Amino acid sequence: MKVFRAAAVSLAVAVALSASHRPRAAETSADLKEVPITDDERSHWAYLPIGAFEPPVVNDARWRNHPIDAFVKSAMDANSVEPLPPAGKAILLRRVSFDLAGLPPTPKQIEEFLADDSPDAYEKLVDRLLASPAYGERFAQHWLDLARFAETDGFEHDLERPNAWRYRDWVIDALNRDMPYDEFIRLQLAGDELFPDDPQAAVATGFLLCGPDMPDINLQEERRHVVLNEMAATVGSVFLAVQFGCAQCHDHKYDPIRIQDFYRLRAFFESATIFRDHPIPTAGELAARRAAEAVRDPKYREADARREELETIGRERFRQKNPDVYPTLKQILGELGNDYNDEHRQLARLLKDAPPLPRLAEGRVMRDGEPREAHVWLRGDFRQPGPVVNGSFPRILAADGELATERPDRPRAELARWLTKPDHPLVARVIVNRLWQWHFGVGLAANPSDFGVMGAEPTHPELLDWLARRFVADGWSFKSMHRLIVTSRAYRLACAPFDAQWSAEQIAAAREIRNRSQAADPQNAWLWRRSRRRLEGEAIRDAMLVACDKLSVRTGGPGIRPPLAPEVTETLLKDQWNVSGDGEDHRRRGIYLFVRRNLRYPLFDVFDRPDTNASCAMRHESTTATQSLTQFNSQLSLECARWLAGAVAQHVSGTESDSRAIRQAYWRVFNRPAGEDEIRRGREFLSRQAQRLRDEGRQVDSLALPLDGPKPDDPLAAAALVDFCLALFNANEFLYLD
Amino acid sequence: MPPHLAAQSRCSSRREFLAQAGGGLGAIALASLLSGDRLLHAAKGDVRSRPLAPKPSHVEPRARRVIYLFMHGGPSHVDLFDPKPELIEYAGQPLPESVGPVMTRRKVAQNPLLGPVKPFRPRGESGLPISDFLPHVSEVADELCVLRGCHGDSVNHPQSVYQMNTGSVLMGRPSLGSWVSYGLGTENDSLPAFVVLPDPGGGIKGGPVAWGNGYLPATYQGTTFRPGPAPVVDLRPQRQISAPQQQGTIELLRDLNRRQSESKGADGQLEARIEAYELAFRMQAAAPAVVDFADESAETLEMYGIGEKDTEEFGRRCLLARRLVERGVRFVQLYSGDTNGWDAHNDVLKNHSEYCRKTDKPVAGLLRDLRRRGLLDDTLVIWGGEFGRMPMSEQGKGRDHNPWGYTVWLAGAKVRGGFAYGATDPFGLRAAEGKVHVHDLHATILYLLGLDHEQLTYLRNGRNERLTDVAGRVVTEILA
Repeated sequence: MKVFRAAAVSLAVAVALSASHRPRAAETSADLKEVPITDDERSHWAYLPIGAFEPPVVNDARWRNHPIDAFVKSAMDANSVEPLPPAGKAILLRRVSFDLAGLPPTPKQIEEFLADDSPDAYEKLVDRLLASPAYGERFAQHWLDLARFAETDGFEHDLERPNAWRYRDWVIDALNRDMPYDEFIRLQLAGDELFPDDPQAAVATGFLLCGPDMPDINLQEERRHVVLNEMAATVGSVFLAVQFGCAQCHDHKYDPIRIQDFYRLRAFFESATIFRDHPIPTAGELAARRAAEAVRDPKYREADARREELETIGRERFRQKNPDVYPTLKQILGELGNDYNDEHRQLARLLKDAPPLPRLAEGRVMRDGEPREAHVWLRGDFRQPGPVVNGSFPRILAADGELATERPDRPRAELARWLTKPDHPLVARVIVNRLWQWHFGVGLAANPSDFGVMGAEPTHPELLDWLARRFVADGWSFKSMHRLIVTSRAYRLACAPFDAQWSAEQIAAAREIRNRSQAADPQNAWLWRRSRRRLEGEAIRDAMLVACDKLSVRTGGPGIRPPLAPEVTETLLKDQWNVSGDGEDHRRRGIYLFVRRNLRYPLFDVFDRPDTNASCAMRHESTTATQSLTQFNSQLSLECARWLAGAVAQHVSGTESDSRAIRQAYWRVFNRPAGEDEIRRGREFLSRQAQRLRDEGRQVDSLALPLDGPKPDDPLAAAALVDFCLALFNANEFLYLD
Repeated sequence: MPPHLAAQSRCSSRREFLAQAGGGLGAIALASLLSGDRLLHAAKGDVRSRPLAPKPSHVEPRARRVIYLFMHGGPSHVDLFDPKPELIEYAGQPLPESVGPVMTRRKVAQNPLLGPVKPFRPRGESGLPISDFLPHVSEVADELCVLRGCHGDSVNHPQSVYQMNTGSVLMGRPSLGSWVSYGLGTENDSLPAFVVLPDPGGGIKGGPVAWGNGYLPATYQGTTFRPGPAPVVDLRPQRQISAPQQQGTIELLRDLNRRQSESKGADGQLEARIEAYELAFRMQAAAPAVVDFADESAETLEMYGIGEKDTEEFGRRCLLARRLVERGVRFVQLYSGDTNGWDAHNDVLKNHSEYCRKTDKPVAGLLRDLRRRGLLDDTLVIWGGEFGRMPMSEQGKGRDHNPWGYTVWLAGAKVRGGFAYGATDPFGLRAAEGKVHVHDLHATILYLLGLDHEQLTYLRNGRNERLTDVAGRVVTEILA
């Protein structure tokens, strides 16, 4: 009989294989050489110090008033393209409202803005939007995409993370308070280490723990290895736009990140206890708890501890035999012998009489445990420890003598300190590029999480550096940077050579410009026009709810699970989508909906919401038939159309009521006044559609009638108005942002 | 290398490339180059609007479409397709020490060996051995190309489900069906390119992510179809909306969009959305016709076991699969097995009797039906689970997961029928000869479809990602 070699291949090896860029991994510690960083590698644009540039002087006076405009126009001049004129006020209002708040303007806001002729009307609007809490809810989603935020583990059991929402709420709040970005980073990496006396400061470290996890993997060491590697890779990708993850098995194929650099970065996280939630009491909770404990008989504390001890024994025994199953208390007790069972019963009896202790909030947060030795892991395999390493900064980015940490007792705080030094070559560049991308659709460097040699070089390198310096000089303020960007002329340009407010001559002239610039720069690399963007799934849903006055103002807390069609939930395990919250909760903003890794909310799913299994820097903007089916046929769409029909009918009655309802619907969905021609066509539709229903002999109780509006005089006409609203919600003018 | 795939590997800067690229590129180059495809609208309008347009293959395809029968939970190769005389001989004894340490899910390495629970017999003209569990499939043994040396990397269900579907044990990579849709598009623009028919009994271990698009555009994700008049979620309007009424609303929508396009000038992005609505409306008409079996003969229904209690459900899905590929759907994946499925931990006989009874006749009927319609020549049928099962017993009569050696079979697509390739060791524990890692299996499937697994790439974070990562060998030995 042949002798077969053990062929146990671990997850880690599989990860190693799947992440490897070329099979060149060292087999033994002796093979493992540390390749020095070359001067050539150091000369890549992204690693050079941020340059000090002045805005160039441009001829066109309209482009001289704003530093961003000077850079952008200068690049246009150099490449012989001409810009379209700025968009009209109605388009601009819709653009900046969705961009900064993720919500459409209300009819009242539109009216006010269109009527405001003051020279700083637009600047006032921008300030109002930035001050609104909707701003934080909007930009938090951008950040949560990067943070691969979800409220479950993923994999088979996809267990819930009951405290994950605290991190989401923290991000919203931090953005609304305009927390400086350096502090934003410090808290997310090391809030617990920096503020040990404030347990709530740890909530931000939820960032590190948002990734997928397989708690029932065969070996817990393997689990830890996978999670720590994922954590280090995410930190590198999000804050540095360096794809560190490529170096977990062997040196990065293209960029100057060696396997040693990867595991030195991971070493900052090595000693964290990561697989359980920790108490993060508020000062008040803690005081109440201590007071209660002080007056409580100590026998209860001992009983509590002993009970936990027994249950741990039972749980571990059970898991030895049934690694696939999460034991219930009954199953745990089944593993304990009779003696233990009796003891457990006695303890339970005793504790039933104990005065209850006030609960302490728990959080999915980082906490340092016993120091652990960090290693390079050969081939990325958790069974093959290589040389010991210490936490230190990637050599490509660190000056000599800067490599070692000064405070090994708080490693993550040291990492954060280094990342947030004002002259860091990458951190500010990376974030201003992301901000630019969130406003323009594409970053100045088009690969926002890859500033390495495979990423695209910035189209406007001097502007990028100028923005980075300005950002640091302005105290790392997001809101100042948003204001700066959206008040530029470059941001305000028209998408297309048409605007309802332009004269025929203006339109003709704009068409000429478009034809020339389109030929010279079809991809709009030089920003001669605004790139049209499709609304994200969250914005589509939120905007429909705003249009019909139904968006809930409730905020915060665990993610809400609104009802879903049974055919959607049947691909899940049991109880994975138990409806939570009440009817109003189901109409909260999209950011407050429950994020399950194994099932994205269907509307968001079809409209390219990322899957949260890895950091997502830029969403797809796909166009599919499934999107159309969802938007046209779903219960949500019809319900919103019915509410909208009810809402617009509320404001009209008597003669010309059709025209006024149509006008209202245009305000609410397209966020602009309806043209006379559009009103006429709308009225024709309403009467044609009502006639169709009449011809079908439809009974009133079979119709989708307006909701929450006045009782309609003519149900067939009212049903036609619902159809009209549904069509508006599906029109390109609603789904796209000019 | 076809130009549409060559373009992106040359590319060092996206904008640089786009600036040079004129029109005339296939949809893939642009769609794949951009992590978000919003820049596409400035390129050729049709490029953006038809990401699923049929695309040329890399090499001469042997198959144009795929039906993948996924036996969720892990069917036992040593009880179905891989007879092991030694396993009978040594039944009741532990594995010899010479076998070395074995990683298992439930620490069964020291358990006594369990012999095949049903006898094997040579079948068909080829004499291919198949167990008595599968009398119907045995009758079409000469169609099967049995890969006995398959192996993967994880003893856990979700990781193995992900690996078999996406090449990676990690969650969230693009699935095989997505890669194929991305690489080849579809020949029917009224139906999705990649359709999944889940088991109505319950979700799989790993969830719908298993047929997800990962980092590929959402266009390429699997669309789930279910039997009954509304096979796709939101395929039909809500019940209060009648067909003529919806038609009226569609006309209004067309009018709104047309007027907007006229005033703003033609634009690929807006045109694409208009086309997506037209496709949705065509799908609304086409999909119910696919699931309506009224035009199938009684004899056909009988072949699939439709009308019999045990086989009705899976038979219907097999027939639906044939109807889908017949209409040009590129890739259909059927799951057999609820959340536990073929996961026979405590009793192989009981578990496999149930699942074989449900699937044996429908699978055989599907192969026969495809053959007689001339479809099997250029349709690839794949049968397999996420792994096989251990030769050692678990809880007496059951078996634990075995990713180290197991069987997957192929049929159609001009592969060698009545043929067994590769072998496990004498106990059926590990792949030993003619080994086919999951990457090799994927490379082979792509090859049969005319795609070179090294050329089918998608640029992400500076890396040309592949289904087969840095591995994969086409198993040319199985080509007829």
